[in-house]
Amino acid sequence: MALLEIRALRKRYGTVEALRGLSLDVERGEFFGLLGPNGAGKSTTINILLGLIIADSGSIRIFDHDFTSNHVAIRRRMNVAAAFTSMNGVLTVWENLMVYGRIYGVKHLPRKIDELLERFEITDLAKRRLQHLSSGQHTRVTLCKGFLNDPELLLLDECTVGLDPDIAEKTRRALQAVQRERKTTILFTSHNMNEVEELCGRIAFLSQGEILRVDTATHIKRLIPHQVVEVAFQAGSDLTPIRQLHGISRIEQNGDHALRFILDDPTRQLDPLLRHLTQSGNPIVDIHVSRPTLEDVFIKVARGEL
Amino acid sequence: MRLMNSQDYGFSATAIGGLVYKFMCLCYRSLDRVFDIIYWPVISLLLWGFTSMFIASTSSFSGVMEFFLGGAVLWSLFWRAQTDVGTFILEDFWSRNVYNLFASPVTSIELFVAIGLIGLIRCILSFLFLSFLAWGLYAFNIMDIGGTAIAVFTSVLLLFGWVIGILIAALIFRYGLRIQILAWSVGFIIQPFSCVFYPLDSMPGWVQGIAITLPSTHVFEGLRYAIATGELAWQPLLISLGLTAVLFVLSIAYFQYALYQAKKLGLLTRFEMA
Repeated sequence: MALLEIRALRKRYGTVEALRGLSLDVERGEFFGLLGPNGAGKSTTINILLGLIIADSGSIRIFDHDFTSNHVAIRRRMNVAAAFTSMNGVLTVWENLMVYGRIYGVKHLPRKIDELLERFEITDLAKRRLQHLSSGQHTRVTLCKGFLNDPELLLLDECTVGLDPDIAEKTRRALQAVQRERKTTILFTSHNMNEVEELCGRIAFLSQGEILRVDTATHIKRLIPHQVVEVAFQAGSDLTPIRQLHGISRIEQNGDHALRFILDDPTRQLDPLLRHLTQSGNPIVDIHVSRPTLEDVFIKVARGEL
Repeated sequence: MRLMNSQDYGFSATAIGGLVYKFMCLCYRSLDRVFDIIYWPVISLLLWGFTSMFIASTSSFSGVMEFFLGGAVLWSLFWRAQTDVGTFILEDFWSRNVYNLFASPVTSIELFVAIGLIGLIRCILSFLFLSFLAWGLYAFNIMDIGGTAIAVFTSVLLLFGWVIGILIAALIFRYGLRIQILAWSVGFIIQPFSCVFYPLDSMPGWVQGIAITLPSTHVFEGLRYAIATGELAWQPLLISLGLTAVLFVLSIAYFQYALYQAKKLGLLTRFEMA
């Protein structure tokens, strides 16, 4: 039984159809990514799961309970950390966390807050007003709030925005550690593809309110089948015979002494290509094989090419 | 999601405690929230105190001081109760806290109970401060009107203030911050029709038609009657108390409806970006 079951979720804003019958299962303990270009329906989905937006139709079951008729009890067992939202700016970090800790009915609250502040390395900010924090510090306070009630389901909406690379890395480690320790199910959205690939076991790729594919990052990247092989030859090489090579999808000039080979079927095309290159007699000075990244898939989805 | 189901009526004392703690922190961390307990009520008391001193010195009309100062002190209760609901709701909009608050398990009932509790404390503080000030400046003791009368008057005004505050909060959820000015301005619209400083029968007929529907009018009519006769006009007061209680329930229902509409239209999340 999935921890989160979404069935045929639809939401329309005027003439814009934000969700077109979205269905999704997320298993207990999964770190699940929700990817897609702006307007794909990620935030609408998350906001419906939080009860901030009411869907036009469809059903949601969380913890094996219908969300509509049990949303208060269900929300006690989940939480959210979203960028671009805040808590009360005039209150200190500690006070804000005390407020939310009480709202969520957290036991041993001061100890819990101390533990989270330490985990996200912001203990020194406890007495600072939220409005005086940098965006990166603010993001980490939001994450502390998200973990306050040891949620069984945590929704992280672009929660690492504004963090410098060092803190972002530490935050990812902290997220992974907390998720492992508590078996928290995490639904994660981000525009940082490397982050999604690193953290998420499975990813749902959304486009125009529908799920294009749910799979691991490795499998999703295969939505773009081709590989690109870039080869640089020694100056003075005769590239003409190589350019006439058959069985390669496309060959492009890539500078004076370099070629780019696009392979639509790498499993069949790569080996003959490499054999031909070594047999051509032109000394190779550099070679680079690039596989499609999650970002490539993202761009193609955003441009409607997939 | 239905407009409201049984879970929306439930409440957790811990959650209410959390919200009261937040409002208390807001009060002592924000000078505005301390200032507004005192500033406007004091201005009003000074204005009507001096006015009544002038009228008392130029006419034979007795009880002028009681009429005006009693009105000023009691009106400040309505004002405080009404603006507190609006401003405490608006604080969450200004802080971009609406998203996190409404994504949490907080119910509207918990929110209003918490605002009611903190509002009650602020009203009591404001009332005590003004009462002492009126006594110190003008030798006017509001308790001379009678403890029972004060209890009934304040109950109706507090409840009616919350009704108006909740209706304004509902409109803010539905139409956003562009109508936030209502939180401070609606009191000014209601005041002339509430007969705070003049009797109902001195007003034009069409105004009386409006005034009679306001619970606050019956309080100030009752105040003048109590000052003049030393007795309470129970019947109109009980009717206004009952009317206010009905309006209170209706205002909560309207708030739930406005919140439901805001969620249907996806407005709660857009406020964060505003």
